Amino acid sequence: MPTMIKKDDKAMEPPNEKPHRKIERDDVPESSNHIPPPESGVLKGGKVNSKTRALKAVTSIIADADENPQKKVNNETNGVQKQKTEDLSKRIGKFEYLFYKFLLVLLYICFGLFRYGQYQYNKMKLRIFSIIYNHAYTPQLIRQDVIPLKKIPKRLAAILEVKPVGDVGGGVTGLLNDASEIVCWTVSAGIKHLMLYDYDGILQRNVPELRMEIHSNLAKYFGPAHVPNYAVKIPHSNKIFYNLDGIETETDVGNEIEANQEKDKIAIEISLLSNRDGRETIVDLTKTMAELCAVNELSVSDITMDLVDSELKQLVGPEPDLLLYFGPSLDLQGFPPWHIRLTEFYWEKDNNEVIYSVFIRGLRQYAGCKVNVGK
Amino acid sequence: MKMPSIIQIQFVALKRLLVETKEQMCFAVKSIFQRVFAWVMSLSLFSWFYVNLQNILIKALRVGPVPEHVSFIMDGNRRYAKSRRLPVKKGHEAGGLTLLTLLYICKRLGVKCVSAYAFSIENFNRPKEEVDTLMNLFTVKLDEFAKRAKDYKDPLYGSKIRIVGDQSLLSPEMRKKIKKVEEITQDGDDFTLFICFPYTSRNDMLHTIRDSVEDHLENKSPRINIRKFTNKMYMGFHSNKCELLIRTSGHRRLSDYMLWQVHENATIEFSDTLWPNFSFFAMYLMILKWSFFSTIQKYNEKNHSLFEKIHESVPSIFKKKKTAMSLYNFPNPPISVSVTGDE
Repeated sequence: MPTMIKKDDKAMEPPNEKPHRKIERDDVPESSNHIPPPESGVLKGGKVNSKTRALKAVTSIIADADENPQKKVNNETNGVQKQKTEDLSKRIGKFEYLFYKFLLVLLYICFGLFRYGQYQYNKMKLRIFSIIYNHAYTPQLIRQDVIPLKKIPKRLAAILEVKPVGDVGGGVTGLLNDASEIVCWTVSAGIKHLMLYDYDGILQRNVPELRMEIHSNLAKYFGPAHVPNYAVKIPHSNKIFYNLDGIETETDVGNEIEANQEKDKIAIEISLLSNRDGRETIVDLTKTMAELCAVNELSVSDITMDLVDSELKQLVGPEPDLLLYFGPSLDLQGFPPWHIRLTEFYWEKDNNEVIYSVFIRGLRQYAGCKVNVGK
Repeated sequence: MKMPSIIQIQFVALKRLLVETKEQMCFAVKSIFQRVFAWVMSLSLFSWFYVNLQNILIKALRVGPVPEHVSFIMDGNRRYAKSRRLPVKKGHEAGGLTLLTLLYICKRLGVKCVSAYAFSIENFNRPKEEVDTLMNLFTVKLDEFAKRAKDYKDPLYGSKIRIVGDQSLLSPEMRKKIKKVEEITQDGDDFTLFICFPYTSRNDMLHTIRDSVEDHLENKSPRINIRKFTNKMYMGFHSNKCELLIRTSGHRRLSDYMLWQVHENATIEFSDTLWPNFSFFAMYLMILKWSFFSTIQKYNEKNHSLFEKIHESVPSIFKKKKTAMSLYNFPNPPISVSVTGDE
């Protein structure tokens, strides 16, 4: 029942047209192999999620009585449990079983209606927020919004994702634009570190384009003469890029003089993370430690919390204080697990765009939160 | 100059008095409401109705998809005690009671595994008195659970309990007791309960790193990969799959719990109610939501509308290729005429 799609989604995906293919390299996967949790997967929308489709899906569970998902899972695990769940339909009788299925569908439909109302309500709220919180491409206004807060995070992280190419703000260019917008807000708010995460590492692969995009966006906010210095860092391959060094553009020449005066003062450090920095890095670290132990350069008792923590800080970066997610329902997408220990999460329900109100409201929540480790 | 200050003092005192009376009134009204509510609930007709409603709801949800592993962060016991002006101990006891009730419901829903964050390693920083209370309470609950898991008539019969965490931080008697209880309930296989008692997720990962390194040194497992690493964690193969994590009392963070398990495709629900107030309906709604969306997700994966099924089964030779068509096969366009009248 609930429409999890925006109106303009219906006309999405012009067939076989990929105008932004230029930036996308061949090695970029078409769709990531990340399986989102059910709610966010459904809410993110797309062609397959319409109201009628949801209704069909919900009612389909009456029809496939044999394909009870519970049984399917158990078939794989072991034989003992299989027998037990097969009894389920026998134990309570065929008629009763069917009755409960109908009841469940009824519950689903009620819930779907409720959720649809909630969805509309949330969308309305978001629209109002976007009027109240408006940055108007002016860094002074953003700073003005931040000043009354008691504290701001030292390190900010954001999870970004690629939208379908035909969508508004979709494709790789959309992603780059989103990333650079967040960079601008973060600079204006006065936060020095930003971690940008995307599952497939598309940002990491498009660093030159990202740097150009950030530069042009910063120029839009601060004026071409006062572009703040920034550093783009890829912890995984241990590379750092400063401003537009090494990229030649037309605006580069005029920028030279200004940059010389404020050199060495980097306004923001941006690290780009991907799924590779998550579980895999921890396992790689284990492998390295095992090898070191094998040649007696390290003993098992030396592996302590501090050692692992400092190693992972080196490999990935420090723990962020606030994590912003710009999707409809919280989905961590494999963000490095070691690093989200005490991180505050912020996301706006049913929102599917990178918008300023999420950013500023996230900062507000952070300002109000109390951290008490263990107490 | 003294007069105004006295007035001021009196004014402040009056204000304070007002606030206090207001608080007391609120508390009194609240307790009256609670009493009335309890009285209504104690009516046999009403409680019969309530129990039956719960039964029907549970049985209905059970025929659909249900998460395999549900996890709780039980936060808010102390705030609960404070709001009701009870000693802290009572708050923890109420929390334990809530957990037992919810466990029973989960078991009936067909959830295979439940884990709960009972005590964090960081909690040792709390006042000693409270730590001791928690330890005592824990042992009492452990005994109770073991007894119930062995009692044929009890709803929790046939469940297995495992205490996970860094047990080197506990006293020897405690460890002995834990071992005993784990042995008693060993052969339950319908339902597993993981109690995380001195646990933090970073500690869990560290322990797994150490174990993997040791195994590597003894050449038991020459190659380490993510799957093997996950299986070595405290919760075994359940570590990889935690479909639903519920955190009560309003904080939007994980507090060092289940980081590895939850950071990929798990639903994380945050609730503003305090843990002892976290009721059947709140949990039921969360699981229903999960079930609803996973039904749709599964359906979408399968792609199984009738048309699509038939379309797939038709061999590709019979399908018309719409895109590959020569320009000269198109019907002719209308005649082209210029406004200037040129030929």
